[in-house]
Amino acid sequence: MSLDTQKRPQWWKKKDVKQTFVFWLILTPLLGYFSSTIQIRSIGAPASETMAGVINLIGLFTWVAAPVAALVGAMCLTALLSKRHYGDNPPEEAENEIRNSPRANALWVSVSAVLCLFALVVGLVVFQKDAAALTDKTAMNINVTGQQWVWNYDYENGVRSADLYLPVNQPVIFHVTSKDVKHSFWVVQMGIKIDANPGYVTETAVTPNKIGIFDIRCAELCGLLHAYMQNKVHVVSQADYDAWVKTNATTEAAA
Amino acid sequence: MTTTMDRPASAPGQSRRSKPLIERLNIFTALALGAISAVVVWQLALHFLPQIPDGQQYFNREDKITLLSMVAWFIGFMTGIGALIAPFRWLMGKDLSHDENMFYAGKDLGVKRYFRFTTDHKVVGIQYLVMTMLIFFIGGTLAMLIRTNLGHPQGGWIHPQAYNSIVGTHGIIMIVGTIIMVTGPFGNFIMPIMIGARDMAFPRLNALSFWLVVAAAIPLIWGQFIGGITTGWTAYNPLASQAPLGMDGYIMFICIFAISTMVAGANITTTVIRMRAKGMTWNRTPIFIYGTVASVALALPAFPVFFLSQVMSAMDRALGTSFYDTTHGGSGWLYENLFWIMGHPEVYVILIPAVAALMEMAPVFSRNPLFSFNVAVLGIAGISGLSVLVWAHHMYMSGWAPLLNAPFMLTTELISIPTGMLFLVLVGTLWRGRLWVTMPMASIFALLWNFMIGGITGIYLSDVPADAFLHGSMYVTAHFHYTLMGAGLTGALASLVYWFPKMTGRMFDKRLSWISFWMVQIGFNVAFMGMFLVGLAGQPRRVEAYAKIFSRGNLITTIGAYVIMAGMLVLLHGVISSWRNGVKAPMNPWQAKTLEWSVPNPIPLENFDVLPMVTADAYGYGKAKS
Repeated sequence: MSLDTQKRPQWWKKKDVKQTFVFWLILTPLLGYFSSTIQIRSIGAPASETMAGVINLIGLFTWVAAPVAALVGAMCLTALLSKRHYGDNPPEEAENEIRNSPRANALWVSVSAVLCLFALVVGLVVFQKDAAALTDKTAMNINVTGQQWVWNYDYENGVRSADLYLPVNQPVIFHVTSKDVKHSFWVVQMGIKIDANPGYVTETAVTPNKIGIFDIRCAELCGLLHAYMQNKVHVVSQADYDAWVKTNATTEAAA
Repeated sequence: MTTTMDRPASAPGQSRRSKPLIERLNIFTALALGAISAVVVWQLALHFLPQIPDGQQYFNREDKITLLSMVAWFIGFMTGIGALIAPFRWLMGKDLSHDENMFYAGKDLGVKRYFRFTTDHKVVGIQYLVMTMLIFFIGGTLAMLIRTNLGHPQGGWIHPQAYNSIVGTHGIIMIVGTIIMVTGPFGNFIMPIMIGARDMAFPRLNALSFWLVVAAAIPLIWGQFIGGITTGWTAYNPLASQAPLGMDGYIMFICIFAISTMVAGANITTTVIRMRAKGMTWNRTPIFIYGTVASVALALPAFPVFFLSQVMSAMDRALGTSFYDTTHGGSGWLYENLFWIMGHPEVYVILIPAVAALMEMAPVFSRNPLFSFNVAVLGIAGISGLSVLVWAHHMYMSGWAPLLNAPFMLTTELISIPTGMLFLVLVGTLWRGRLWVTMPMASIFALLWNFMIGGITGIYLSDVPADAFLHGSMYVTAHFHYTLMGAGLTGALASLVYWFPKMTGRMFDKRLSWISFWMVQIGFNVAFMGMFLVGLAGQPRRVEAYAKIFSRGNLITTIGAYVIMAGMLVLLHGVISSWRNGVKAPMNPWQAKTLEWSVPNPIPLENFDVLPMVTADAYGYGKAKS
């Protein structure tokens, strides 16, 4: 260290450090922008607050990770661009013997610890919100039963259906179970998922906030026709929902 | 040595007397005895096992017969290969003579020693190398079947049952292949020389660990013909209990492989702790050794649990117990816990030695000392320690213990800190080095790229709310391929090129190594980027057909997969052609400083005439010598 300060320029004035810094400045926004945009575009439009939260999380984590990835990338680029050697015999030895740098180690570890803590706190805040939704007294309850290879939905008012109809902006709690093997109840565009276990009831909650038809897929390998164990959730206005309940209740009674 | 007088030393075949038993046993006697035992026990079981009365659905006669036949195969095979000779001698109060031990070590046996229960660690290393390549060949072929089927949204040309079986077999066979890909070939061949030892601490256990893998492979293949492994590699119960008889093949495969891993783990750990050369203190021990030991030491607690979980699974199937049967007091969550208590350390069993191998190569190819050796050791230790505390992040969405999701999120995210240390060490070593542009050098950059993507996507998955969306989707599949294949396999392929001169005495064809490197890396990134995209769009894992919206991403993945296949075939060609008629390698082609480069080619039977003394670590590169 003392050698550094006496003979050589200070470390931040060295050419390769400056070069790395420039690379880092260029790479960070590029990585952050492209990887977050591409991921968020692939996900598509959310159909609930929960899913919007997931999308925000993925975007945020990507932006937070970008500077770290960019730093590694920038250092790699600098290393790659200087003093390459081709051939069958080894090059000369490197000029500096850098065996350790306590400063770099400490900085690296503390930065990664801070980032880790950040990710944890952000995750916990969102997690808390999701967990709180499970205790919502105003929510409607739907029992979901998975069996090889269909989903069935039982409403509180006695309606039983193979199609899921939900009124928009109404919190709903799913009580999920299975008749045979494990399935996983995944409402894709609403960002919720919970395994359906035989013999146990598991719960997940969501408030759909967009009218439309969305996907439900089984996300746990459940045998022969796992790939086809999917159906649609119809999110409709309260009036349409009431009408649907009416027709369905009568058909159930007739049958 | 009076024992040597018992039987005059003679080359096999020249003796006047008939050959002793020990010289007759090889892989062919093993296969024959295994097959005969299996058939005999199968017939006996078929005739003598009582029929199960109707209504007792939880007993399954066919499962009993299958499992018994497989156990018989296992015992027959291990007897036939000669694994029991030495223990039997001990029971009789005798020991193997010096000549017999030398015979076991493969002295003067030429090519035959590769087909026997040979104790020389170099032979075992080569056996593992060939075995690993065979596994990757089979697993890769299965992957190509999967990708071809997924090239079109309706899949279709593979029956769903067969498709599920292909997915499951691809999964488990690749997991096993990646577990052994570094610690098997390089941990056995290179590691003892690297620490300056003449052989492993327990040479016979070393041979045993390899032949157990061979013995394990047959039930897995067998299982393919009796219904297949239709449950994915996780074999979750209760799906596994309703799966066809092929499941018994999976169970036997895991049980035998777990024994192999435990044996190898005990052996490698003991070797490193006890047999390092004089002067090789812990801070002069090369980092690859740390990686190998961390890997096998992690396997030591993990695989007994796996073994146990499968024994319980077998009992549920065959003996009417109900460990995992909810209707009779068991729980599927128990299986998930046992499985992932193995399953999460296991991914680091795969990853750590591959990264450590690249950390070993980084100084050689940048002519720079390893940056911050202590941080490297700390990183490996940190990952190993934390990895046994994170298993339930695979179960966030299982509903098992919602209250535990937050603590498991904490431990999982903490792993990013020691993982970051490994990045620091690699980048720090490259920094201001003189890069020698070779395939292993390029692999370090490829690892940094792939592992960065695999690591960051791991953070999304560790986050419970994000996992509620991503769990069970193709995103997860892409994530772990980025870590296990993008990082792990990249390290293993670099190790192959790096240590090829020492293992075969010939240089790896440079041109072919570059061609395969670029094809595999580009194909890999194309394939699994496409898979990330369909995962984000909502495609579940392990499906044989999918909605139209996913077709573009899947097509990209399939194209990428074919490029990987072509690259791997180029590599295979490179291995075969270089091995047969590559340029003869000098003793130390890379001018590296670890001990394995100080022994001549070909390496003498016991490696060192005079055991080396170590006075410094192996990273004394750089001009400014102190």
